[in-house]
Amino acid sequence: MPSLFLGILLLGLRVTESQASGLAPPQQVRLDADTEAQKLLVTWEDGRASTFDVEILRTELMEIVFNETVVATEDQSTGKHQWNWTSPVPLECTSLSVKVRSRDGQDVSEWSSQQILPGLDLPDNTDSQMYPEGKTVPVGSNMTFCCIVKEGQQFGSLLYKDTLVKETMLSRRTYATTMTNQGPSNPSGTNVVCSDEKKMIITGAVVFVGYPPMPSDLVCETHDLISVDCQWSKGRETYLFGMARQTYYTLNGRDSNMRCGLEQWDGNWTLVARNLLGEFRLTDAAELGHRVRPVAPVNLTTPEVYSWNASVGWLWKYNGYERLSLICQVQRTSHSNSSTQTYTGYGLNTVVLKDLQPDEKYNVKVRCGSQKNFWKWGEWSLPLSFQTKMDRPVAPDIWLWMDSDNLGRVLWKPLTKSESHGQISGYEVTLWSPEENSQQTLTLPQSMYSLPINVTDRWSKVTVTARNPAGVSLPANVVIPRHLPGKNGGKGRPNSVTFNGSGFPLSWVAHANASCGYVVDWYNTSCTHDCNVEWTRVAADNTNTMVQSSNFFAGVRYTFSLYACSSESTVLLERWHGYMQELVPSRTVPRLSPNQEGSDVQLTWDQIPLEHQRGFILGYTVYLTNASHLTLLGNPSPLTLPGTGLMCVCFQGTLDVKPSPHSMVHIVEDSVWDSSKEALVTVPEEDEEGTGDEEADTDEPASLRYYNQVVEEGSSSRGRPHASDSSASSTGSMDSGHTDVTYTGIQTSACSLAPMAHFQPQPDASQCAGGGGYRPQMQSASCPEDPQTGPEEHLQPPVGSFGGYQPQCSWKQDSPEADGGGLDQACLGSPTSVTSSQFLLPYDTSEEGKEHQSSASTWFHNLLTGKP
Amino acid sequence: MAGTRTRRGTGSEQSRTARAAALAEQLHHECTLLLDLYRKKETFAKELTVSGDHLVTVPPLSSQLLPNDMLWRLYSALQQCRNLLERAIGREEVVGNGEDRAQYENQKKTVRDRLGHLLESTRLLLADGAGTAAFTPEPKNTEIDGPVNGSPFALKLWIYRIFNELEHWTLTASNTLKALHPDGATPKERGTSGRARGRRTRR
Repeated sequence: MPSLFLGILLLGLRVTESQASGLAPPQQVRLDADTEAQKLLVTWEDGRASTFDVEILRTELMEIVFNETVVATEDQSTGKHQWNWTSPVPLECTSLSVKVRSRDGQDVSEWSSQQILPGLDLPDNTDSQMYPEGKTVPVGSNMTFCCIVKEGQQFGSLLYKDTLVKETMLSRRTYATTMTNQGPSNPSGTNVVCSDEKKMIITGAVVFVGYPPMPSDLVCETHDLISVDCQWSKGRETYLFGMARQTYYTLNGRDSNMRCGLEQWDGNWTLVARNLLGEFRLTDAAELGHRVRPVAPVNLTTPEVYSWNASVGWLWKYNGYERLSLICQVQRTSHSNSSTQTYTGYGLNTVVLKDLQPDEKYNVKVRCGSQKNFWKWGEWSLPLSFQTKMDRPVAPDIWLWMDSDNLGRVLWKPLTKSESHGQISGYEVTLWSPEENSQQTLTLPQSMYSLPINVTDRWSKVTVTARNPAGVSLPANVVIPRHLPGKNGGKGRPNSVTFNGSGFPLSWVAHANASCGYVVDWYNTSCTHDCNVEWTRVAADNTNTMVQSSNFFAGVRYTFSLYACSSESTVLLERWHGYMQELVPSRTVPRLSPNQEGSDVQLTWDQIPLEHQRGFILGYTVYLTNASHLTLLGNPSPLTLPGTGLMCVCFQGTLDVKPSPHSMVHIVEDSVWDSSKEALVTVPEEDEEGTGDEEADTDEPASLRYYNQVVEEGSSSRGRPHASDSSASSTGSMDSGHTDVTYTGIQTSACSLAPMAHFQPQPDASQCAGGGGYRPQMQSASCPEDPQTGPEEHLQPPVGSFGGYQPQCSWKQDSPEADGGGLDQACLGSPTSVTSSQFLLPYDTSEEGKEHQSSASTWFHNLLTGKP
Repeated sequence: MAGTRTRRGTGSEQSRTARAAALAEQLHHECTLLLDLYRKKETFAKELTVSGDHLVTVPPLSSQLLPNDMLWRLYSALQQCRNLLERAIGREEVVGNGEDRAQYENQKKTVRDRLGHLLESTRLLLADGAGTAAFTPEPKNTEIDGPVNGSPFALKLWIYRIFNELEHWTLTASNTLKALHPDGATPKERGTSGRARGRRTRR
């Protein structure tokens, strides 16, 4: 009874509230779903308010998905209110319950009856499904996918592409996932797969994520002066493919592909590009005359072809071109060159190509544009090939090189393709004698480029012509030099010329009789037969040149000769010698021999053959050694014995010698002359030329020893050690009962001479302590450090103590024998020694001298014997 | 009815069986590759399986069957496979570009061609065994033409199932034909030395 009373009371209160607000609940609430747009349209009647509370729940789980106050005005014609709601979840995923009440400020009506939008997860829809399916959305979109599993099936997982994603349960059978900021799809779309607990695919959906079209560069032009050809670029990739999703184009309302032709010139064009995500418009406008792009010329021909020019003609596809002012480019390509010439004219259809090369194959192609209001070049025509006719060759470049005073060789350079103007069939060499008004002509095959002649004959001029099927070249002349006294042409010693990295720079004083310029020839100085001679011509108004050749090699001396040319004579003006790079001599001083008379010893030796010098030999250094003592001899005076080519140094009684078992004297080539050492005389190199026949000596460092008055055959037989067994030779010396030191190398390089300074030569010889002064530009890395050499810095001769000679090379190891890696191998040259049983120089008997001598001699002995 | 009489296999028949077995083995390899390419194209994880409902429907290939009956059922299954593949090729839209697409399209054609050869080889074996073979008409299969609701995913899944059927039935064909061959191996696997040829079929 009390509860009944309470119920009546509460009912009375509600009625009172409702009546108090005066708001009636909405009637006839109706739901209409647009599943494609995921939109829900809610309509109701009898709500006199303009604001309403709307509540939307997922029916099965009673989860509120929307609960807000909305504004919905009444449609005067129907008297209904309507309100749209876009669901983030596809409407098919699960059922939604919707109710509405009127609101006026704080007053609200009762809720309307609940309306349900049924989902597709109801029991009567037993199949598995996924939504949304097959949708096309822009890149960056957010989407929620739901999987409705089959009745009785167990949900397993959701995959977006091949990535497992987190799901939310919406109902007993429905699971959903939301993907944000989606990227572009594969061509066949992005798959969302729903699987059961056994990884079996239950269902799935495809989403196509892409872009709306955005074409660009719409350009319309004419080729035939009547119709229109419009093209454009596709622009950004849409990532949408297939008949349904691809982009479609219309141009002025006509369907088209990526290129469109219109029969008439409209002057204005609009391109519309459409796909499922949107459309894009492009426009273009122009007068016909401003958009003429001619077609490619066709049927190219060569009506006339000559040696140096040819005409090229073509046809136009359209008659309208006859009145069109054209500008055309003709590109011609030969075997190595390509050039383009421009021609203009109304209806241009023929041009003349000039400056062609004879006997040359050309490819030509043509393209044209409108000269007036030029728009764009048309397409290139197909290429046309033709070959020019031959012409007679140019005169060959000839020279006459004197092998000797009597014998010479006429030389000429092979003609290049651009000079021969056709296949060269041969050469004709004519020897002239104007005095006798006679001539002799020799015909030579195309493969010959020289002819030996005897210049003592009556001939005074040589002419060479080249022949090809088109004719004979103009003659090339050279006057035979009648008088070339001596190797140097009577011009004194050749100067030396230094290679500057790219060539040999030569300069000279202008010569009055050089009407046809100058010729510089060069060859390997040590060459004696069939030498390779190169030459270059210098214009008459030039007095310098840079001699360059790919045939220059290091360690080879070249002779450069300068001639003045005129129609009457060829005059040798000057000569130079030079090395591209100087190297250490490749062999020893040959035939070193002593001649002892009493306490005097005369040393003689031969010059090093030129090809072994490999650099300018500027002097020799003579060392005396006995026992473990090495001394630089002072003031030797090398002399060249007239007519023998022999060198000698005489030591006379002025030397203070004391008895000693015997001594050795070493001769070392000194490639750098210390000008302050007058006693060490360099042998001028020009005096050494032609001494390449001293082949009796070997390349081995020679250690000659002699025993005054007591010459033993046995010891003598051991006295010429090989370079490779210096220690053995030392042993041999020991065996002989003498204490002579045999060493195999004292080099004039920095790394060998510096240690030699340890010996502190005799006071009267100390001026030679600079080691003869030779100090090539040495790469320090090539000279291994010897820990026994001690501090070298204070032993180095002062900078500037050398003479004016500047070596042309970097000092580096270059002989195969020197590759062994030892100090003696790496840095030492090729001394030659002789041994004397007489004292030539005394020991330093002082204690200090002994100490010094001891350490120095030990070092030097070790150095020479290759011991560490 | 095929397989109703006992006969001794001739040498040429055995050779044809061996060739058909080799062809089936090769085709199975091609179908596996096609399946892999499709998985890659559609980013289907390999561990995902398709429904156990088969698109190809033939009575089970029991070991108790006579060889001719086995061949007959195998032939029928392969024929259904070919029909399904033809429909799949016709239904699947060729989209995109690039090397992957070209490889996939080529592989489809290769499988189609080789499947034709295998069908012809199997038909010849049937003809030898049963005289004028009376082929079973294709069974009614509601899924033979693929999905009709326009769902892109349903179409993809249908094609995926077809490729799985192809892989299954070409493996079955390979194993069955090998079993029918007296040496139980393809010509490549067998040595050149002769073993007893011919095999008596069981009733």
